[in-house]
Amino acid sequence: MSDFPVFFLHGLAYAGLLFLVSAGLTLVFGMMNVLNFAHAAMYMLGAYFSYTLLQATDQFWLSLMLCPILLFAVGALIERFLLRRVHVYGHLHELLLTFGLAYIITEIVKWVWGNFPLAVNIGGLLGDTVEIIGITYPVYRIFIFVCAVFVGTVMALILYRTRLGIILRAAVNDSEMVNALGFNVPLVFMGVFAFGAALSGFAGVIAGPLLTTYPGMAHDILIDAFVVIVVGGFGSLGGAVVASILIGELQSFGVLLFPKLSVALVYLLMAAVLIVKPSGLFGEKQ
Amino acid sequence: MMAQRNAPVVLIVILFALGAAMPFVLKPYHLNMLTEIILFALYAVSYNLLLGYAGLLSFGHAMFFGMGAFTVAVSLIHIPGLSIWSAIGLALAMTTAVGFLTGGLLLRHKGSYFALLTLAFNSLFYAVATKWHTITGGDDGLSVTRPDLALGFTTVSLAGIESFYGFTLVIVGAAIVFCWYFTQTAMGQTVLMMRENEERMKFLGYNTNISRLILFTFTGAVAGLAGAFYTLHFQFCSQSAISVDMTTTVLLMTFVGGTGTFWGPMLGALVYIILQNYLSDITDRWPLFMGLIFVFMVLFIPGGLSQIIQSARDLLAGRRGRGKPMAAKEASS
Repeated sequence: MSDFPVFFLHGLAYAGLLFLVSAGLTLVFGMMNVLNFAHAAMYMLGAYFSYTLLQATDQFWLSLMLCPILLFAVGALIERFLLRRVHVYGHLHELLLTFGLAYIITEIVKWVWGNFPLAVNIGGLLGDTVEIIGITYPVYRIFIFVCAVFVGTVMALILYRTRLGIILRAAVNDSEMVNALGFNVPLVFMGVFAFGAALSGFAGVIAGPLLTTYPGMAHDILIDAFVVIVVGGFGSLGGAVVASILIGELQSFGVLLFPKLSVALVYLLMAAVLIVKPSGLFGEKQ
Repeated sequence: MMAQRNAPVVLIVILFALGAAMPFVLKPYHLNMLTEIILFALYAVSYNLLLGYAGLLSFGHAMFFGMGAFTVAVSLIHIPGLSIWSAIGLALAMTTAVGFLTGGLLLRHKGSYFALLTLAFNSLFYAVATKWHTITGGDDGLSVTRPDLALGFTTVSLAGIESFYGFTLVIVGAAIVFCWYFTQTAMGQTVLMMRENEERMKFLGYNTNISRLILFTFTGAVAGLAGAFYTLHFQFCSQSAISVDMTTTVLLMTFVGGTGTFWGPMLGALVYIILQNYLSDITDRWPLFMGLIFVFMVLFIPGGLSQIIQSARDLLAGRRGRGKPMAAKEASS
């Protein structure tokens, strides 16, 4: 088992990416009760924006700053002009809208960038390898994990240690009351949705060099992120952390130990959780 | 009152008569298209029993469609001399079993959770169909030949499109009529009322979980029948039959046609297949147009085409206040 540490690190890197995607998804879901099918499509948009930007400027850090801002704007516009319109029809209608948007974004991506994978190469320190615990390992995969830890920490601090976090959590429980207290709840929701979009864009930029950019990337990550949410518990940030690591490692070691079964392992875990604890590992009972 | 009660029956007879006349009117190309429309109409009707009647938004309906399609293809290839009836029967049995088993797991959740879980299960089935190369043919798919139709006293060759169209019209048409009949039964009405007020139905002594499971299994089997005809029609079955795209297709059909009426999804299937055929000649970007139409509908016409037709009819009839039909409400909860 000399491969063990390498596969463990691979698993952690994928877990980091999964967490970045599912954190935004679970945040929007927990706050607004909207299951955002377009989340992964926006992640893909982030990856493609980053690809174009890297082709033009070759500045990875710039792309990592700029793409989330672009996606923030996209998210704010979607919430303000589309999602808010269908809010009165209920959650399933909102879901249908985000589903339609995901479909359209995927088609636009195929149109603009073509229906084939585009490789993203990064140079500098991030493209290098490093020697840890006796193995040579790509810096970039470690970087992904560090990013996920950073984002997770910042999100937890904002939610549980600031005034903004208190308003957010209060708006989930009783949005009318928070509105009556003088806070602009529609603006808060727009901010949350846009932040979720920015987070997906950030994840997209990070995913590019790891997985290459291709039109199916949205669908692939969406399914895994959904499984993370089911396993971790709906709307739970802590659950997303644990489930991301579980599924990242399961994917990684699944390929090593049961190559034939590896595609089904993640779903088997999900089915097992559904049977034993339908609300997820950290979910509250509905 | 009597005339209104008989109206659906008259309509069914007229539609069957029209359908029977089509082989004498249409060219084979269009007859092919019509066969496709009929089988997708059944698929969409089964989907709307979930979405429109029970208020369950599923992203996993293709697993039944694909399971039916693959069961027919695999059984025709591996069991020599299998009759077309047995192949279809096997597909129905398989999808009923799968519907019952998955339904038990999936129906533990409702609303968005249910949508998410069904999508994940559909992906599982798709992954298995892609990887299990020896049975499903993987990326290459499976080619089959339509067997002859044994009627007991005679045998009809289904090789030509005219005879296969006739077979589809009778069997799939009968299945659609049966679905309509189902919505009129006590079971169908129970499902409707559960959507409106589940607490009250529970209080009245109905076991809502069992009713929902029965409905889910039933729609699964009906979708499986549509899938079986899909394989028989194209004489080919690949993993695209079980992919999430196939669920997307039926969702677009159903929603564009309108979830508020029984006939809306059939209209949706008609419009979708025709648009697909003509738009794909003009542009490679036709899915984009379908997506734009869908989002436009979601935003502005949540009742779909049937809503437009109904309001036009009400307008023509001078708003005689016929009262809203029970099912005329878009799936929202």
